[in-house]
Amino acid sequence: MTSSTKFIGAVEIGTSKVTVLVGEFTGRELAIIGYGECQSRGVMKGVVVDYKAASECAHAAMQAAEQSAGEQIDLVYLAQSGGHLEAFYNEAAVNVKSADNMISALDIDTVCRLATAKELPAGRMVVHNIRRPFRVDGRLVPGNPEHLVGQRLEVGYWTVHGQESRLADTIHVIRGFNLEVRELILSGLASGHMVTTAEERQHGVLAIDLGAGVTDFVLYRDGGPYATGAVPVGGSHLTNDLSLGLRLTDGQAEKLKLRHGRALVQARTKADKVWLDGNFTIGDRQFPQQAIEQITAARTWEIFEVVKKKLGAAFTPEMCAAGVVLTGGTAKLPGIADCAAKVFGVPAHLGETPSWVNENLRDPGYSTALGLLYYGLASQAERAAPARRKRGFLQKLFAPA
Amino acid sequence: MKDTIDPVPNTRTWRQIPQPVRPRAMSREGRKRFALALLKTTGLVVVTGAVGWGILEMASTWQSEPKRIARAVGTAPVGKIDLQTDGAISRAWVEGVLALPASMTLMELDLAPLQQRLLANGQVRTVVLTKSFPATLTVKIAERSPVARLRMENNRDYLVAKDGVIFSGIGYDPAALDALPWLAGVKVVREGDGFAPLAGMETAASLLAMARAEAPELYATWKGQVVNLARLESDGEIEVRSSEIEKIVFSTSLDFRTQLARLDYVRDAKAAPLKSVNLALGSQVVVDYDPAAALARPNVPAAKPSAVPHSFAFPNLPTSSRPNRDL
Repeated sequence: MTSSTKFIGAVEIGTSKVTVLVGEFTGRELAIIGYGECQSRGVMKGVVVDYKAASECAHAAMQAAEQSAGEQIDLVYLAQSGGHLEAFYNEAAVNVKSADNMISALDIDTVCRLATAKELPAGRMVVHNIRRPFRVDGRLVPGNPEHLVGQRLEVGYWTVHGQESRLADTIHVIRGFNLEVRELILSGLASGHMVTTAEERQHGVLAIDLGAGVTDFVLYRDGGPYATGAVPVGGSHLTNDLSLGLRLTDGQAEKLKLRHGRALVQARTKADKVWLDGNFTIGDRQFPQQAIEQITAARTWEIFEVVKKKLGAAFTPEMCAAGVVLTGGTAKLPGIADCAAKVFGVPAHLGETPSWVNENLRDPGYSTALGLLYYGLASQAERAAPARRKRGFLQKLFAPA
Repeated sequence: MKDTIDPVPNTRTWRQIPQPVRPRAMSREGRKRFALALLKTTGLVVVTGAVGWGILEMASTWQSEPKRIARAVGTAPVGKIDLQTDGAISRAWVEGVLALPASMTLMELDLAPLQQRLLANGQVRTVVLTKSFPATLTVKIAERSPVARLRMENNRDYLVAKDGVIFSGIGYDPAALDALPWLAGVKVVREGDGFAPLAGMETAASLLAMARAEAPELYATWKGQVVNLARLESDGEIEVRSSEIEKIVFSTSLDFRTQLARLDYVRDAKAAPLKSVNLALGSQVVVDYDPAAALARPNVPAAKPSAVPHSFAFPNLPTSSRPNRDL
């Protein structure tokens, strides 16, 4: 271990559970050395509603992760989700300044600043500014346009913003453990980065993370995120629907959902029945399999419909050649990929974490926490590179006043 | 297009959310971590401060009263002097010169004056003193080698090194010293308790070294004889009296090796005992026979007595091609 080694905690405070992974980052390599999990309390639809309860379970998970790693966490990458997150697209264009029409760093800086400088409503704060590829005279430039020749430089940003108080609540939960939040990352971006390949992102893919309280989605195009969103509906709503429809407690409904729930109706007759517990105890009841499937399938279908509606014109089957990739705890519902394929009209499959990820962390429920580490480090490195360039002595010397 | 950018609204990002430390808003585990971190920081500051203060305190004590540090450290008295020398100096002599008190510890030793004491003797060229804890003082000496002897007016004999330093000579074998030639015609100047280095000694030493290394038979006749440097400065000549020849004159402006070769040739080719040989005249060697000795030899025709010394030109061979006939 060198002095530059950092122990990064990836924390996802979800509606059903808090997941913490500890990554040992040596500056070149990342190794996952610790893991902690705790049933979540005080969190509803991805938002902290009870600070004390949420803190207790989050801190318990972080403590378990530290114990498992045998090291103390230095900083935290925190996942952010919830219905308060919104996004918009804003673009800007500048005329290239130099006489020979060669694009300079200053042109790029100017157009980027203009594209991100949109005033937000009061109480809203930017979570992410996701840049779409540059355009030089209408021509798409996937990389850096510096030194290319053109007259007009355009760029667009997908800006994700959230309610300041909600963001602060989540950050303060971590601060309560005397840890600093270094990166706040959209849950959908983290999990999407983990379950899609670079090739899929280049061809166009829609990654949907179905959590317990929130469904996050990211549409990738041209190798990068094109649109993001969060729907405050998730697996817990399926449970709630079953509970209301079949007059069960939440616990019983959850049990039925996990055992017999399906995203597409498969049962042909109402005569097919399933036991609630199946252990012949007093009070055990039978329920029609078809009814359970109809309830869960309807809600699942509805979730996908809402996602599709939110994406609007951004989603077209032609621009989403790699199809739909599903992840998150609710993605384990049987038949969900077929359901997604029917709704979106493109092939759909369950997301798989890369083969180098430990067997114990391959479950779709951990894709967000894993993605936090990898996406966080990648975005930090990306941000650090131009920052270093800017601080050059000569640039400072000849910079305009 | 305008040169300046219009002022753009400054959008607020989540990074502007303050992350203050509020122990009251922390969980029990969080407070524990906070207290631990605070304790660590405080401890680090205290330790750093203490170390810094200690260093300053030690530095000031070292300057004002080094014995206090020695007492505090509590090292044992110097038990052994480890002598490493390339010459004849003995450990007894070193111990005598250093004269360390029995109770003195290594920490109390001030090495600079001890080094000066050893260097006061001309035989010691360099000396390095090292404290090897717990109780050994290591003395590494590089000595001067004597090339000649010198008898003063008070009949005391001294040795002279290649660099002209005059010293009394410690621990040498008397037989080895007897083989050294005597120096004459030198001007000895007092300097403090000793003598100033002799001028021109390096030239004489190179002649002696050349003779000893390349013409040992010849040099054997110089042992215990006299090397006169009286005309070294004025005429650039060195006079040597050997057991065979009363006066041999060498020139410092000519190559000693060539002169020695010529002397050897003359010595071999002599028809009668030689009185003097002057090698300082370039290719001409002036030889003066001893007429009395020549007459005393029955089979050798007596040389004609002459007011002018016999002389002959050295065989006219290129100097470079015949430098060492017997050498």
